Amino acid sequence: MRATIISNRIRQLRFENGEMTQQQLGQRIGVTRQTLNAIELGKYSPSLEAAFRIAEVFGVPLEQVFQYKSAQGPS
Amino acid sequence: MPFREKSAWVTLIAILLVSALFVLHAPRLSHPGPGDFHTLLACIAAFVVIEGVAFLVLRLRYPEDARTPADEREQLINLKATRLASGCYVIGSFLAVLTLHHGASAVMIGYFVVLAFVIAEILKYGARIVYYRRGV
Repeated sequence: MRATIISNRIRQLRFENGEMTQQQLGQRIGVTRQTLNAIELGKYSPSLEAAFRIAEVFGVPLEQVFQYKSAQGPS
Repeated sequence: MPFREKSAWVTLIAILLVSALFVLHAPRLSHPGPGDFHTLLACIAAFVVIEGVAFLVLRLRYPEDARTPADEREQLINLKATRLASGCYVIGSFLAVLTLHHGASAVMIGYFVVLAFVIAEILKYGARIVYYRRGV
């Protein structure tokens, strides 16, 4: 299955926030470690609610966590 | 491997194992008799026992994971796999009814419907495993 065109900086943000583990972040936002790993690898696009929860944990705006790359490029 | 992927493997293997046991009696199904129905019941009982024991082992080994409710990705995987399986079951059941026009008896049609159900379940748990591994 193709990776989504939504990229993210979760891995980097975890590193910058005290080497937070996937397990710890997953518990805080209510998903399993495997799901968080799939999100990080771009194999799964989280719901809007989960995306906001991730941003809230790191204390940054949503667009600093997730970036959308349009297939057509900026108009 | 996620707990629910392990569960899917357990169920898939149990279905395949019990189906294989039943297929050993398949040649007799061209002229089904009361004994075949008892075989079917025995296979269902065997499935329940195998699955029950396997799940008990899984729950004892991973108690924390077993208690955790399915998250949004796991729910999506379940929904997609179930959608595939239900489509397969509907088509299979419809084809089973069509065999009536080829001289199949009511008992045979019943077995074809069971076959459609088994294939649909194999597809469901197989799809779950694929979605867990490849992404959804």
